Amino acid sequence: MYTQYNVMVKNGNPGTGESGLYNRIAVLRAERGASRQDLADAVGVNYQTIGFLERGDYGPSLKLAFSIASYFGLPIEAIFSTEPFRPLSEQVYGTTQQKEKA
Amino acid sequence: MRAELVLLGKRIDMAPRVRRRVLVVLIYATIAALMIAMWFLDHWRSTGTWVMWAAFFACYMFLGGMNSYGGLVRPFHNKRPRTYDGPEPFLLLKLRTYLPIPGENSDYLNDERELNQRGYAHYKAYQIIGLAVVAIWSVALFRMHNPEWFRWIPMSPDTLYYGLLLITIVLFLTLPQVILLWTEPDMEPAMELAEER
Repeated sequence: MYTQYNVMVKNGNPGTGESGLYNRIAVLRAERGASRQDLADAVGVNYQTIGFLERGDYGPSLKLAFSIASYFGLPIEAIFSTEPFRPLSEQVYGTTQQKEKA
Repeated sequence: MRAELVLLGKRIDMAPRVRRRVLVVLIYATIAALMIAMWFLDHWRSTGTWVMWAAFFACYMFLGGMNSYGGLVRPFHNKRPRTYDGPEPFLLLKLRTYLPIPGENSDYLNDERELNQRGYAHYKAYQIIGLAVVAIWSVALFRMHNPEWFRWIPMSPDTLYYGLLLITIVLFLTLPQVILLWTEPDMEPAMELAEER
């Protein structure tokens, strides 16, 4: 299986690139063990476009953004944001710790 | 755009932008050399059309885009190749063009990002070709009013206009693809090539 997510490995969190959008596509794809080609086939684009999306070099249309959200089964704001994302681990465990403290 | 070029059975990784730029420079250098050679041969009287055929060949083999399913850029018309489901005809001389059986849509069709890029490339090409037309008009205008300015040019006015129009036609055939190849950032390598790495 083709699971290359070097962007995330190198940068941790990809920048906005030219699109002005932050996204979590690479993390979510790696979590699910899906290749770029799998995601591309599911949402009907070329696998190169998934690479450009992950790097933030391309801002998707609303239709494509909804297709990607549907593929991952998440709300659209969990995948795309105009603000930098906090790491998922920090969001999950940070919230748990805060709850425990409360 | 495709990330690899299949040439005589050999797969060439064209994902890095620098390779695509080298290819563009080589193609234009070859066409320029051909134009110069053809001018020395017969002042483009009968060989001028060869330059156009060279541009078509470059599109067919390397660039793609313009009515071509080969090359790096997917066809601009965004249609799958026509297929023929009937039996093979007995005639050896076929009057149709047979194309390979189409595979996945991604082999032939542009997605939304590629359509955006295609539009941008054609807009830029339109501007440059417009400038080329203005250049031809300027040459004609200046020659009408100041013919003595053009005496140093070692060719007849008709040949000069013919050459300039030939350049414009070559630009018309190749420029949108070339802009795409030149501007597209480094891509992900093609699947099989990536697995080999």
